[in-house]
Amino acid sequence: MCLSPSSQPSVEKIGSSLSKAVFRGGYMDILAFLTDGLLIGFVYGIAAMGLTLIWGVMNVINLSHGSIIALGMFALYFLFVSLGINPYIGVVLVAVLGLLLGMVIYAVAIHRVINAPHLSTLLATFAVNMIIIGLGTTAFSTSPRNVDFSLGSMSIGPVTILGTRAVAAIASVLITAALYYFLYRTTLGKYVRAVTDNRAAAELMGIPSARVLAFSFGLGTMLAAIAGGLIATFFPFTILSGTTYELKSFVIGVLGGVGNPLGALIGGLILGTFEGIIPYFLPTSWVPVLEFILFVVILLVRPTGLLGAKK
Amino acid sequence: MAILEIKDITSGYGEVQILWGSTMSLQEGKITSLVGANGAGKTTMLRTIMGLVKPKTGTITFEGKDVSQISAHVKAEMGLVLVPEGRQLFSDMSVEENLEMGAAPKRAKPRFDANIKRVFEIFPRLEERRRQKARTLSGGEQQMLAVARGIMSEPKVLMIDELSLGLAPVLVLDLFHTLQKLRGEGLTVLLVEQNVQMALAVSDYTYVLQHGKADLHGPSRDLVNDTHIRSAYLGM
Ligand SMILES: Nc1ncnc2c1ncn2[C@@H]1O[C@H](COP(=O)(O)OP(=O)(O)OP(=O)(O)O)[C@@H](O)[C@H]1O
Ligand SMILES: [Mg+2]
Repeated sequence: MCLSPSSQPSVEKIGSSLSKAVFRGGYMDILAFLTDGLLIGFVYGIAAMGLTLIWGVMNVINLSHGSIIALGMFALYFLFVSLGINPYIGVVLVAVLGLLLGMVIYAVAIHRVINAPHLSTLLATFAVNMIIIGLGTTAFSTSPRNVDFSLGSMSIGPVTILGTRAVAAIASVLITAALYYFLYRTTLGKYVRAVTDNRAAAELMGIPSARVLAFSFGLGTMLAAIAGGLIATFFPFTILSGTTYELKSFVIGVLGGVGNPLGALIGGLILGTFEGIIPYFLPTSWVPVLEFILFVVILLVRPTGLLGAKK
Repeated sequence: MAILEIKDITSGYGEVQILWGSTMSLQEGKITSLVGANGAGKTTMLRTIMGLVKPKTGTITFEGKDVSQISAHVKAEMGLVLVPEGRQLFSDMSVEENLEMGAAPKRAKPRFDANIKRVFEIFPRLEERRRQKARTLSGGEQQMLAVARGIMSEPKVLMIDELSLGLAPVLVLDLFHTLQKLRGEGLTVLLVEQNVQMALAVSDYTYVLQHGKADLHGPSRDLVNDTHIRSAYLGM
């Protein structure tokens, strides 16, 4: 597919309708910005899915979400740099590690406070966050790392797509589909939904709810770690980098609603697109400001999320 | 033979004690009913038997094993199954998925096909609505699904909290007949009922829960003629 500027009327329409704005680039650049934002948005969606899955299943806001994303980045980095493992095989290993780590965190820190008021689970996950960041800073320092890996790029008209971002986007779609398959077609997945729906009833049916909760928490951290691993294939990072993505996950959570992986994916795409457009008009430092204005506005206007009708 | 024995159970919620040393015994292959005024603690008794509320003192023995401190999901695996008050369906899951969750115990899985066939025979309405979400069922249909889900668990002891609630009288009679049929196949039933008259009519043995104890009990057909029961619960 090759789109030259003259054969693409819709581009000119976008351009002319925005012509009064102060552009920081040429007309055609907006498509490039949009594509970049959109592709990263898929990965944001995966990160957000991890956060909203845990919230949906057990009403726990996982404040260690960001640091687990960062751990996913580091795990991928070391698998690649130290062991020479291909990053995409690395992501699979990172997923397994993320799942196991999450189950351990649940057993050690969450289970004992799972029935306590929200403040307790917030503090518990916050403590886990501080522990990971503390240990991570000691072990890895805070100087940025970079997974030196490239899949080249592909040009379509004015748009240049980095191979790593395209693969990350495709992987995100596949992961979302796999998550749906798991939740709706497998017995364990149905147990997760049953425990989400009514934990006491699940227990009465012989479903070991504590183990299902541990597994669900692991699933949430697995998604966070995968997102971290994928992001590491195209952005430099430190142990503190997860915070940004955690905050984005919250914004996406209110955009897409809770308990619905597709909502998270779409929310991620919206946020990614939004991020892609902002630098076109304003300095990049405005991105988080506008994101949080969006966050507050949605909470005020539609606290159930833009897309999700559920609580 | 007693399949389930509850001995001197005390239980409650936090500081509030509800059961003050209740003792009950269920005979295998019989229908036992538990009746009592609103708030007497019938639901608390069932929740304590299942382990959703942990007994403070006393013992619960199921098939000769002390299960007092065992969690609910393990008891369900063993064949002790509760159809809880207020239905407690998986509201965002389909009728079929609810039944599938009922068959979660290992002992129920191999019997899945036979059991689902049976519950669809008992409740043809559920088969018509098998793909519908539980939350969209009518109240009566939800009650059917709650009972059907319990049967799917392949129980040895089936405890039902408020069987008749929200069901048309005809259907209640049908259900009682079904339970009697299941009893004929060896199922033990513990029935908690608001409708004391009905409970006495269909059960073999009845316990009356008052002041946190189940001291008043006897064969149901004898209790029907008990003057205290007649005045306090049957309005005669
Ligand atoms: N979670 C709880 N916390 C505190 N008190 C409770 C709780 N659940 C029940 N109770 C109290 O325990 C007492 C017994 O309740 P229970 O539900 O066992 O009664 P019941 O015999 O089943 O009544 P009903 O016939 O109305 O269903 C009631 O006074 C109730 O208010
Ligand atoms: Mg009750």
